[in-house]
Amino acid sequence: MADHPSHDPLAGVPFDRVPPAGAYGVTGEPGIVASTADEPFIALVIARNGHAASVAGRLSRAFGSEVADRPRAAITAASTVIGTAPGRFLVLSKTETDLPGTLRALLGAEAAITEQGDAYVAFDLAGDKVPELLAKGALIDLDPRVFRPGDAATTVLAHVGVTLWRASETSWRVLVARSLEASFTRFLIASGAEFGLRLDGRAPGRG
Amino acid sequence: MRIPCPYCGERDAHEFAILGDATLTRPDPAAPDAETRFHDYVYLRDNPAGAHEEWWYHANGCRQWLRVKRDTRTHAISGAVAARADATSPRDAA
Repeated sequence: MADHPSHDPLAGVPFDRVPPAGAYGVTGEPGIVASTADEPFIALVIARNGHAASVAGRLSRAFGSEVADRPRAAITAASTVIGTAPGRFLVLSKTETDLPGTLRALLGAEAAITEQGDAYVAFDLAGDKVPELLAKGALIDLDPRVFRPGDAATTVLAHVGVTLWRASETSWRVLVARSLEASFTRFLIASGAEFGLRLDGRAPGRG
Repeated sequence: MRIPCPYCGERDAHEFAILGDATLTRPDPAAPDAETRFHDYVYLRDNPAGAHEEWWYHANGCRQWLRVKRDTRTHAISGAVAARADATSPRDAA
């Protein structure tokens, strides 16, 4: 039995609060498992004019994965580098506690660095039904045959600005502005209820 | 209507904001008839039927300005380039 049944999975959930962890929608094995990912250190790199290729090269060597100046995700065990615009890269790390300092030392005067850890919440979505859920809010083609692992896009989902990428065959990541976490979680629940959605809890304190 | 963003790929027009005519050139403020020319530059717009070039801003994507070729009769979009690609700022030229 799901905690929040399918006829109205958001009944009684205040719309200005992040819905509580639990099972939403149809009962049984959930088609989607959603959680906020444990990747707390985020920084934005903006290459100065004429330095985009050099910055991409330095990021590739430092993070051990091919970074190109296009909308792709370069993923390793500890870090992810996403192209969001020409010469712009979002860097996420699980281990670099002083990510802006590390990037400044790496890139020097070639780029402007801003800390973004408080700006975004990173959602992790897993399960076979994730593309069908995302399709309900997306304006772009996220069919798994078209949007391949490593592909990234900065776009809107359910009118909420997001940067999303496909981390593996069955795992998707979505970066959402922190103040829109409650609203975006409601979209996930309302759209995922027909497949069954399990929302995993998070450590209290932040957000 | 879908706009082929050079960085993001083809995107729905809802992700963009339009500024308008991309064919105008800012007049020389030192010219003797600068006042008249600035009036025309700010206020007067042609209303062409057919091929036109416009500035569009990809607000919900790469946040870059694009120069888009659109047919005003059919809304068919025949291309888009980044505004920065044809801009030559003093810093780029240096």
